[in-house]
Amino acid sequence: MFFHIVLERNMQLHPRFFGRNLRENLVSKLMKDVEGTCSGRHGFVVAITGIESVGKGLIRDGTAFVTFPVKYQCVVFRPFKGEILEAVVTLVNKMGFFAEAGPVQIFVSKHLIPDDMEFQAGDMPNYTTSDGSVKIQKECEVRLKIIGTRVDATEIFCVGTIKDDFLGVINDPAAAA
Amino acid sequence: MSVASDSPVHSSSSDDLAAFLETELDSDSDSSSQSFPIEEAADDDDAEVTNHRLLFYLYLQALEFKCVIRSLNRVSQSSFRLKRRKLEHLETEDVASVKFIEEVSEASSSKLPCQHPGTFGNMCIVCGQRVEEEETGLSFTYIHKGIKFHQDEVTRMRDIDMKMLQSQRKLCLVLDLDHTLLNSTILRDLTPEEEYLKSRTHSLQDVSGGDLFMLEFMHMMTKLRPFVHSFLKEASKMFVLYIYTMGDRPYARQMAKLLDPKGEYFGERIISRDDGTVRHQKSLDVVLGQEKAVLILDDTENAWPSHKDNLIVIERYHFFASSCKQFDHRYQSLSQLKSDESEPDGALATVLKVLKQTHSLFFEEGGEDLSSRDVRSLLKQVRKEILKGCKVVFSRVFPTTSRSEDHPLWRVAEGLGATCATEVDASVTHVVAMEVGTEKVRWAIREKKFVVHRGWIDAANYLWKKQPEENFGLEQLKKQGTEEGEEEEKQ
Ligand SMILES: [Zn+2]
Repeated sequence: MFFHIVLERNMQLHPRFFGRNLRENLVSKLMKDVEGTCSGRHGFVVAITGIESVGKGLIRDGTAFVTFPVKYQCVVFRPFKGEILEAVVTLVNKMGFFAEAGPVQIFVSKHLIPDDMEFQAGDMPNYTTSDGSVKIQKECEVRLKIIGTRVDATEIFCVGTIKDDFLGVINDPAAAA
Repeated sequence: MSVASDSPVHSSSSDDLAAFLETELDSDSDSSSQSFPIEEAADDDDAEVTNHRLLFYLYLQALEFKCVIRSLNRVSQSSFRLKRRKLEHLETEDVASVKFIEEVSEASSSKLPCQHPGTFGNMCIVCGQRVEEEETGLSFTYIHKGIKFHQDEVTRMRDIDMKMLQSQRKLCLVLDLDHTLLNSTILRDLTPEEEYLKSRTHSLQDVSGGDLFMLEFMHMMTKLRPFVHSFLKEASKMFVLYIYTMGDRPYARQMAKLLDPKGEYFGERIISRDDGTVRHQKSLDVVLGQEKAVLILDDTENAWPSHKDNLIVIERYHFFASSCKQFDHRYQSLSQLKSDESEPDGALATVLKVLKQTHSLFFEEGGEDLSSRDVRSLLKQVRKEILKGCKVVFSRVFPTTSRSEDHPLWRVAEGLGATCATEVDASVTHVVAMEVGTEKVRWAIREKKFVVHRGWIDAANYLWKKQPEENFGLEQLKKQGTEEGEEEEKQ
């Protein structure tokens, strides 16, 4: 799920960046530092959308650096248990399949793939229904439900299921019928 | 947002949800800070000034998302009521909302306690619960980062796999890289005599058909062993192929690209030292084949302490001078001699024959029932063909203090299918001696029997092929001093 939230960060800046462009420099450094990172609390920071305020700088003793408290608006992405996500399948094997939704890595175990879908080995491993109408293979899009999440500093792991109504392949015309 | 009236739990959910989200968020940030202490210790870390605002957002979003769940899941009316009843019951407790949410996501799972057969990011792949690190089982990092399976689950997967493989008439083959399928050297270790190789390397754009590659970004040059392309093509018809190397993951992947540019042989089955379960050892732990259906090809016997019976030891392929030096060989390398192993008669061609024999014994002989078949005993059977029909007498090879039957060489000869005897008679075909002039050697010369030194047996054992006796006469032994020198000069 996406959230638009306000966060604060203490930015350290070298004096050579001071002057007319101070604010710009702060913002570009902030973007570099924050976008694309994860925190356990907020999830993955997708993009900074605005600066709320830049506080008064504080010179750090012993170094020339100045610390500015910056409040910024950003869009974060954080999956929740029970959430329905759409994801792209990246790897299929006999244990199940792996899928990605942006920075989120999701594993759907064979235990949580409907029983009527069987694993087919080969060049393009896949799970297929007995009538062949639905096929899960690399690159296809699936709708799945998250049953567990873990957010690390750089990655978000999820365990998912497609063993429920309206879950499974979504870009396959046969499945939509 | 008019979801409230639509929600099954609108009456009392707001506070509960806020509480849930708080709990959920807290527990998550706690655990992540445990595993990544650096994150929290960072100099200029986030300060959450907007907790309340965040929670409000979360709350609104959560209401919306619950609505989404409901519309997508088409939860039946009966289970709905059931859940609602549970909710009402739980609402008397403080943690009601947390439990309720779990109820939603586990509505379809059974009531038996989950065995947690495997984990992804330390969460059970079946129920989604956190599992303690020490209870997560074997790591299968070569398949995907963060995925682990319990021994029972691995066994279960192997059993299912076995059935599938048998229907395709396939076994598993685990292949080592260095000195088995190829030879690599660091560029700066190239000797002046090997400089000519630099102009003979094959393009990395299209590796198919090439056998010598300069990998400048890895500061390496790699030479594929002659016959390796045919070997992989043929072997892949009979075996599911794995790479198992003591090299690191980037190296293993790069070598796999050279050997298998289309990815048709190995798929994800590339195990590097980063994926192993025991340091400095190789093990079939993470290979998803039953041990009775896995063969291993490696030049280093000691790498496989627990799977010697599955192992085919192959003669080391030393193409580069640095490789010879590394193994303390004094002779010139193939690259220095501007030579190479024979394509049709080299080590890989010989091994392919052994593989074919073992495979056909497994599937073609002994009827339909494959359950009692075991490659380990079949490999022994194939080995017994090598010196079949030979009757060997040893002359002053063993110390007189021990029983000849206990000597390793005696057992190796028997393993190769030779009959061993202590006394000469008309049926004896070979006399193995270490010096001329013994009574048995004189007898052999008189009777026109072969006289060879022990290297003849060792070589047959190592090369999986009966060797020409004339290369192992006692005069050779004297001339060349050591077996090792003699062995290699043949190349
Ligand atoms: Zn579980």
